[in-house]
Amino acid sequence: MYYFVQALIVVFLLSAQTTWLKLFSFNGVTPDLALIWVVYCAVRYSWMGGAGPGLAIGITQDSLSGGLLGVNTFSKTLIGYFFSTLKNKLFIEGVIPMGIFLALASIFDGLVFYFSTMTILKGEVAPSFLYQMLPVYSVYNVLIAPVMFMTLDKINGWLKLHTQP
Amino acid sequence: MSRRRFTSRKNIIFLSTALLASLVMMTLSVKQEKGIHFLDSIAGTVFSPFQNFFTQTIQSASDGINHYFSLADVARENDRLQFEVQRLISEKSKLVERLARRKRLSKLMAYEDDLRRETVSASVIGRDATQWSKMVVIDKGTRDGIRNYLAVVTASGVIGKIIHAGPSTSKVLLIIDSRSAVDALFQGSRVSGVVVGVGGDECELKFVPNTANVKVGDYVLSSGLGGVFPKGLIIGKVSQVSVKKQSLFQDVTLVPSSDLSRLEEVLVLLS
Repeated sequence: MYYFVQALIVVFLLSAQTTWLKLFSFNGVTPDLALIWVVYCAVRYSWMGGAGPGLAIGITQDSLSGGLLGVNTFSKTLIGYFFSTLKNKLFIEGVIPMGIFLALASIFDGLVFYFSTMTILKGEVAPSFLYQMLPVYSVYNVLIAPVMFMTLDKINGWLKLHTQP
Repeated sequence: MSRRRFTSRKNIIFLSTALLASLVMMTLSVKQEKGIHFLDSIAGTVFSPFQNFFTQTIQSASDGINHYFSLADVARENDRLQFEVQRLISEKSKLVERLARRKRLSKLMAYEDDLRRETVSASVIGRDATQWSKMVVIDKGTRDGIRNYLAVVTASGVIGKIIHAGPSTSKVLLIIDSRSAVDALFQGSRVSGVVVGVGGDECELKFVPNTANVKVGDYVLSSGLGGVFPKGLIIGKVSQVSVKKQSLFQDVTLVPSSDLSRLEEVLVLLS
């Protein structure tokens, strides 16, 4: 039941990401719900809680994307692992530390895309990507995260009461 | 202590395996290995019903909101007829949507006749799951005769090509994606160049010589070279031109002829 609900959350997040989230785009940028979910798992679940979800949602996101296969698997797994490790060394309760975590994760995610496109695919990325799109992307993720964290906390609270993970 | 070391080692092994797997996927993806796309097909099959449901819900909600605003005054003026009005709103909403769809389809069909090619019309049911790639998902796949590298157009012009055809859904790489390149020529001067995406809302036209006379508003068409897009389809219109004396080529920016952020129905050219 627990894992089924987690899988449903992933399906819902990625379905939303690929359909109506575009309606809320700002400057052509939308928040990355998968990234926020990975950081949530990394921060909330026990030791190494983020790497597994990062791998799972990264592969799924790659499969639903037209980009280079493996890029999201790579970045999301690393983000999950890094923040899972970091949460045991730092005090990360509260909106501001979470915001900093999310901003760092967003910048890393964007840079992985940027360098993979420029090096592996030998493609071109608009010069505005680094100084315009990436900051907007980070800020947007940081703004959406508290709402998503709160919703996911509620769902997990309900799950803990009714199921055994 | 030893238990912690064991857990730590296990984590490192897991992480290394995951990262290695992602690097292998990237390599296979670059090499265009066919086997790697089974993941796309599975994900497409699992997610397409949800994407269909989400897309239809948005359309219905959008229609509902539009009609509420346009008819709110009528409802307020005549309480007695409110129930009837609501019923009519709902009915009208459905009809308007059907009419709009028919208009769009008939426009596409007229274009299809002009093209004189075998085509399949499809609806856009989803967009890329990541922020950075410019791709849409359509509701037709190999069962409908679609295969990789077929051109995808609208009545306004070229929008992209199929990069992965699954059984019931396909991925279309838009011309604004940074991996897209289309051989093109100017409608007037017939000077050629290559339209490349840069990941934004516009494209760039590369390799246009400094000597070519290019003006803002010039139309750019597909040249037919490259074997994907037939000759003569509109790609876009020049929005910016910059000539640098120290460079051999001009910097030409192009606005795609189709509004790629609001795609609903498209045509896939089968031949």
